[in-house]
Amino acid sequence: MHIDWFVFSAQIVNFLILVYLLKRFLYGRIVQAMDRREGMIVSRFEEAERLRKEAENLAALYEEKNRLLAEKQEELINQMVQAAEAKKKELLEKARADVDAIKSRWQETLRKEKESFLQDLSQRVGRQTYAIARRILAAMADEELEERMAKVFIRKLKETSAEEKDRLQEAVKQSGGRIVVQSAFPIPEPLQKEIVDIFADLIPGIKPELRFEILEEAVAGIELRTHGYKLAWSIGDYLENLEETFTRALVEEAHIKA
Amino acid sequence: MEIMTISQISPDQVIFWQWKFITLNATLVYTWLVMAILIIISWLVTRNLSDSIHCTRWQNFLEVVISTIRGEINEISKGEAGHYLPFVGTLFLFIAVANLLAVVPGYVPPTSSLTTTFALAICVFIAVPIYGIAKQGLKEYIKEYFRPTFIFFPFHVMGELSRTLALTVRLFGNIMSHEKVIAILLSVTPFFFPIVMQALGLLIGLIQAYIFSILAMVYIASATQTHEEGHEKTEK
Repeated sequence: MHIDWFVFSAQIVNFLILVYLLKRFLYGRIVQAMDRREGMIVSRFEEAERLRKEAENLAALYEEKNRLLAEKQEELINQMVQAAEAKKKELLEKARADVDAIKSRWQETLRKEKESFLQDLSQRVGRQTYAIARRILAAMADEELEERMAKVFIRKLKETSAEEKDRLQEAVKQSGGRIVVQSAFPIPEPLQKEIVDIFADLIPGIKPELRFEILEEAVAGIELRTHGYKLAWSIGDYLENLEETFTRALVEEAHIKA
Repeated sequence: MEIMTISQISPDQVIFWQWKFITLNATLVYTWLVMAILIIISWLVTRNLSDSIHCTRWQNFLEVVISTIRGEINEISKGEAGHYLPFVGTLFLFIAVANLLAVVPGYVPPTSSLTTTFALAICVFIAVPIYGIAKQGLKEYIKEYFRPTFIFFPFHVMGELSRTLALTVRLFGNIMSHEKVIAILLSVTPFFFPIVMQALGLLIGLIQAYIFSILAMVYIASATQTHEEGHEKTEK
């Protein structure tokens, strides 16, 4: 085997030149380019990671905000529901109060109506009863009855109390002995005389002037009038009394019912 | 258009021009061709490199090649590819391109010349102590020759020499013999079979380039790693 030493040294030089040139044109540049690209990719990844973290943070933030919003919404809804409940209660109370007022007013009206109706009714009934009684008595009344009534009147006069007698004497004195006796029917003469005698006994010293009058509207009975004094006995009085009592009783009952 | 006859073993024997001791033979010419191809491609591609994700196919190709070489060097040198890439990478690229161009008719790989392989082996022979001393210092590097005892010094020296010789002869023998086999085959069975052998030649060429550069790297790595590091490594 032959080795050409010139070629040998030339090859060594060639190789070293190649090393230098490749280092200059190939390795350096390529490695730099790769490093730069790698750096770029790393920085991109870092950027992407940073953005991802940022996005995650933002997402977390918005999630939190959403949660808060939802809570607030719920709270507001609750408040509104409560307010609506309160308002409903209030309105119901008001409506109930109104209804109560209307009801009481209505009841009051009803009660009054009832009362007035009952009053009216009682009056009518009373009046009717009275009218019936009056009619019956009027139909029944005759001279005999009248006479008996006059007799009752005379007895009453006789039985008057001392005090009553004093008042009557005083009244007769004041009137100067003028006495009016009213009745529904004419009083028979003997009875008239008896009455005059009674007065003569009753009031000594004074001559009584008795005037006998017929009173159409009186039902039955006799009435004696002198100066501010009145002595009467008549069925009308009883009837009036009856009417009064009856009406009072009816009105009281109506009040109790109302 | 063969420029070499079968009887010519080395392209050194094909002399184009000679003046005194200066000879311009096929080895030099094809070496320059390979160099030119490598440099021109490198220059053209790296003229406008792209930093972005989009880059030219050529740039992509070169990046793949360079990063593969870097990966290999990193594995052996424990992550110091930057220092060794120009030397080891150039060894690989030069030998690989020189071998792969063998498919071109009329081309003779300069690696089939003993002079070239010897020159490359000498480059490795010189580079190993340079890297070793640069990394460990002269004293530590020399000490390595006397481990485990001084008796081992001659063996270390013999090892250095023999592995240089081995590098030289392995590459030369493989490529030269393949060239000869193809030349002989062409004369015996001119159809088809030489194509298969050519394809095989491409594989052998790449493997030899890989072996040569990897061995160089291994030698450098063993010279740059301290005794302790080496010890730790073996323990692991």
